[in-house]
Amino acid sequence: MPRSVNWRRRRKAGPLDVVRLRESFAHVAMHGDELPLFFYSDLFIRHPEVRELFPVSMAAQRGHLVDALVKIVSQVDSVNDLTAFLQGLGRDHRKFGAVAEHYDAVGASLLATLEHFSGPAWTPELAADWKAAYELIGSVMTAAAGADEQLRPPWWRGTVVAYERRAFDVSVLFVRPEPRMDYLPGQSVAIESPSRPKLWRYYSMANAPRSDGLLEFHIRLIDGGAVSMALTSSTIADTELRLGPPVGALTLSHPVSGRDLLLVAGSTGLAPLKAILDQVAALQQPPRVHLFFGARTADGLYDLDSLEKMAAQYPWLTITPAVSADSKFTGETGSLPDVVARHGDWSGHDAYLAGPTEMVQEVVARLTSAGMAQEQIHIEDFGWSEP
Amino acid sequence: MTTAWFNEESRLTPEELQTVTFPMSRLGRRGYEEEPVRGFLRVVHAEFVRLANERASLWQDVQRLRRRIIAGEAGSDPNAVLFGKEDAHIHAVRILSTAQVTADRYVADAQAYSSRVTEEARLRRDDIMREAQQHSDMLLEEAHARAREAAVSALNVSVPPQTDRERRAAQAELAYLRTYSDVYRAHLRAYTEGLLRGIEDWERKEAASLQEAASLQEAAQGHRDRRSIGH
Repeated sequence: MPRSVNWRRRRKAGPLDVVRLRESFAHVAMHGDELPLFFYSDLFIRHPEVRELFPVSMAAQRGHLVDALVKIVSQVDSVNDLTAFLQGLGRDHRKFGAVAEHYDAVGASLLATLEHFSGPAWTPELAADWKAAYELIGSVMTAAAGADEQLRPPWWRGTVVAYERRAFDVSVLFVRPEPRMDYLPGQSVAIESPSRPKLWRYYSMANAPRSDGLLEFHIRLIDGGAVSMALTSSTIADTELRLGPPVGALTLSHPVSGRDLLLVAGSTGLAPLKAILDQVAALQQPPRVHLFFGARTADGLYDLDSLEKMAAQYPWLTITPAVSADSKFTGETGSLPDVVARHGDWSGHDAYLAGPTEMVQEVVARLTSAGMAQEQIHIEDFGWSEP
Repeated sequence: MTTAWFNEESRLTPEELQTVTFPMSRLGRRGYEEEPVRGFLRVVHAEFVRLANERASLWQDVQRLRRRIIAGEAGSDPNAVLFGKEDAHIHAVRILSTAQVTADRYVADAQAYSSRVTEEARLRRDDIMREAQQHSDMLLEEAHARAREAAVSALNVSVPPQTDRERRAAQAELAYLRTYSDVYRAHLRAYTEGLLRGIEDWERKEAASLQEAASLQEAAQGHRDRRSIGH
């Protein structure tokens, strides 16, 4: 029997294998958090050097591991979806510092964990099944990581060259990545701050790629948010951050649809939409753009000055600021979905939305019920690489 | 895929307790207070984790004892199972797991604390801002009122007549108005007094007619002939 097993061929030879794997997994999954807890402890005792690839608190990490295992085991018979997922996972792990040798160590600890929790149900046949399955998973991930290595670094060094505090809880950072980073306006990168090692959070670039290569980020302080707190701290100037590869599909449809654009930004959701504005401004024939920028109070409209400057410069651009909890505000007041809906019929537009999830969902619901087609609505979607 | 391969799917996990969300009640205030619910869920979560850990630890003891029995039945030294190299590894894993869970809890507590402090600071800031806004509104209002008052009193101090002729004209006007108002007051008094007299007259006549009616009724009862009364 060959060491490396083709999944599809194996399934044809004996579909019972998949059933056995699932049953085995269902049995060990009963142990909940104990399963990943044992796995990581086993891994770190056998290979202490791997520990430093992980954050101090492993709680979220254990959740990710179980989620990934559940996804793999449940999709094991839809190979194409699973392969795409594993390839993404493999590429994503490059920025964490995962290398090919780690995959063997992880495989050994995974088998030890499964054996430990399977008890008497652990048989040589089951062990062989799991080993073959893991080898396949590992080979797909390492192959994708290897291919990615030819294209780009695992992460970029990003020096904070300027820091502006715009509101009591919003800061704007200008970061110089090395080497230069190419990306599509609207995309995001995961950021790791040196004061919060191994914690990565996604932030969108707020500008289209510039000749000097600088990236603008809008950071909002989240209550108790470990990374946002570090990034909005005034000591962030001159710090060297790590930036993961650009991801995300909130980008201008290509080729250009010819429809006018509706941009709806809640708070720092403005960042990706501002990058798209940059891109539109460089087009030969820019479509008409109506940007709604909403915040709770007027001082939360942290970037209104620069937006109004743009609106004065570009005749195709209309800016509508809106505030939801400040009756003194002289402009539009009310929730952003209400304000957008009040401004008429958007069904002939392409919509790009970013901001708090609830707000985005509400706007999507309003636009859809007002007759906008699904493919005209673009929202941020990190998919599997959600931090 | 949602087939029944994962038959433990419906079990509640501590993570679910931490991430569960409930829809807002339609009229904002009709649901439970959110913070006590969250607080209770935190307690349930901690208890859940403790139970799960106890259970896992007991289960692992069962496994070890089972292996010991199997080893004994197979004729090898059962003590090697309890105190052997393999067991030492499992012990090490358990010690590290406990340490990790403790560290996780410290981090989670610190994060929750920082979250609470930040949130309180944010609310406090909002309060201070609102108070300051109200205070400034009040000051502004006061200033407006004062300005209005000053403007009105400035208007009342009318410019003194410039010439004798104007003064005489003004005095004549004043005299005319005074006389006019006197006359009207007299008229009004006379009219009101006339009305009062009319009312008094009316009351007197009403009382008299009631008396008359009463005496007539008595007389009618005496005669027992109602029809002759009017004649």
